[in-house]
Amino acid sequence: MPDMVIVDTLFKRYGPRVAVRGVSFAVAEGEIIGLLGPNGSGKSTILRMLAGYLPPTSGGLRVAGIDVAADSLAARRRVGYVPEDAPLYDGMRVSEFLRFMAAIKGLAGKAVRGAVEMAVGRLDLEPVAGMPIGKLSRGYRQRVAIAQALLGDPPVLILDEPTNALDAYQVIGVRALVRSLAGRRTVLLASHVLAEIERLATRVMILRDGELLTSDALGEAGPARRFRLRVGGPASAVLTALREVSGVASAGLDTAGSEGRYLVETAPGQLRPADLARAMVSRGFALDELVEARPDLEQVFLALTQRASAAEARAA
Amino acid sequence: MRAFAALLLKEEMALFTSPIAYVVLTVFLVIMGYTFTLTLFVSHAPTLDHIFFQIFVLLLLTVPIITMRLVAEERRLRTIETLLAAPVSEVAVVFAKYLASLSLVAVMLALSGVYALTLALLGSPEWGPIWSGYLGLFLLGAALVAVGLFTSSLVGNQVVAALLSLSLFLLLWIIDHFGWLLPDPFDAFVVNLSLLVHFKPFATGSLFLSDAGFFISVALLGLFLSVRALARR
Repeated sequence: MPDMVIVDTLFKRYGPRVAVRGVSFAVAEGEIIGLLGPNGSGKSTILRMLAGYLPPTSGGLRVAGIDVAADSLAARRRVGYVPEDAPLYDGMRVSEFLRFMAAIKGLAGKAVRGAVEMAVGRLDLEPVAGMPIGKLSRGYRQRVAIAQALLGDPPVLILDEPTNALDAYQVIGVRALVRSLAGRRTVLLASHVLAEIERLATRVMILRDGELLTSDALGEAGPARRFRLRVGGPASAVLTALREVSGVASAGLDTAGSEGRYLVETAPGQLRPADLARAMVSRGFALDELVEARPDLEQVFLALTQRASAAEARAA
Repeated sequence: MRAFAALLLKEEMALFTSPIAYVVLTVFLVIMGYTFTLTLFVSHAPTLDHIFFQIFVLLLLTVPIITMRLVAEERRLRTIETLLAAPVSEVAVVFAKYLASLSLVAVMLALSGVYALTLALLGSPEWGPIWSGYLGLFLLGAALVAVGLFTSSLVGNQVVAALLSLSLFLLLWIIDHFGWLLPDPFDAFVVNLSLLVHFKPFATGSLFLSDAGFFISVALLGLFLSVRALARR
């Protein structure tokens, strides 16, 4: 698949403060990318630069094959952007606002009507189409912001904290919507909510202080592979046997499971599940279950951000 | 062009559906009506000289109120982010906001035309100074709106934007008084920055290209600086 978004050594400075430090990544067509990081880590700044709103201090940005710095208007035509907190014109009616946005995105005549009808239908905005935006609930506001991003059918969709301050039902609604919008579209999504990213994204990028700590596919982002096993026999003998298997970094009881369940951690690439199964069976244990545990994003996030802090402390 | 028409329509709607436009128009017409009637009864002269100077002062006071929200409000509510992430240029956004505000000034001037018509009904005024006076007022309005737009795009607070442009206008109104105190050649330079010095000939029926050039230059400078301020993000 071709890369829809290419970011190359991107820097953004606000006076003496460096908000983004040499970030590089590429996003293939159809991917849903989750940008994760604490507040102030540079997520929104990167998305604003991709949306063409902020100019980068240095570095390259290409969206749908177009250099954002060289032809910002053409790049912006290919991006639908939903800023954080959905800043909209409160005095305008929903349909009036969508018609306005369609017109400034270069649509004309029947195309405006068609695009607005499609967006209103897709986001279930019919009940509020004639209402002033200032009178809408947060959920509807967010939907109007997403609706305007869909006008003109852009191939890249950028959503900055799309479920911020929404209630549980609204969060589920927006999540389902983002999933349905993906497919042929490339979606970049920022959030500081780990669960949000885990549920939606196919790949996660973790940022801290403007630096990209990882940009791996979910499930491969972990610092180590973990396996859950159910093995018959006395726990002490099983644990001893597990620890003897070469490539096992640590073995212990799986506190989350019932009796006879164990958790094994290995270094990446050190041990395949088949090797672990063969080793246990050859030692005469009855192996009832062996599954690879997906690394918990929360743990990955904490491990990476703490590792970065420790490295900085050492350097200092 | 369609995108620009949509931007202009949005600005016109925002301006003419806000109470600010109607408060400004009402205050302007009440004060002008009082001055016109009083002057006419006292002088019995079919001229709009006094009215033009009155409008000159009222424009200095009302344009900051018309322009203060133009960009400052968009910055405060962050709608500028939604707007400028769309494929529109800063030049188009600035020009749409400028033309919309200038159209309100044009409406104010057009409504004051009723005084000229009254003079025509009651007597036979000299039309030359009336036309040149209106041309001068329109050029003055064009310059003031551009400066007001610039101060609004500099700050995120409407009141600060209004106070900033009001201070600038008042300074440029009376700057010739300070100018005369300066030694040659600085005196001529400072005196030539005065809005009043360049407006007086228009109000009395004398048209000079240099006066029109002054107002047009200020307007272009204001627009250029507004675009630069908007592009600085």
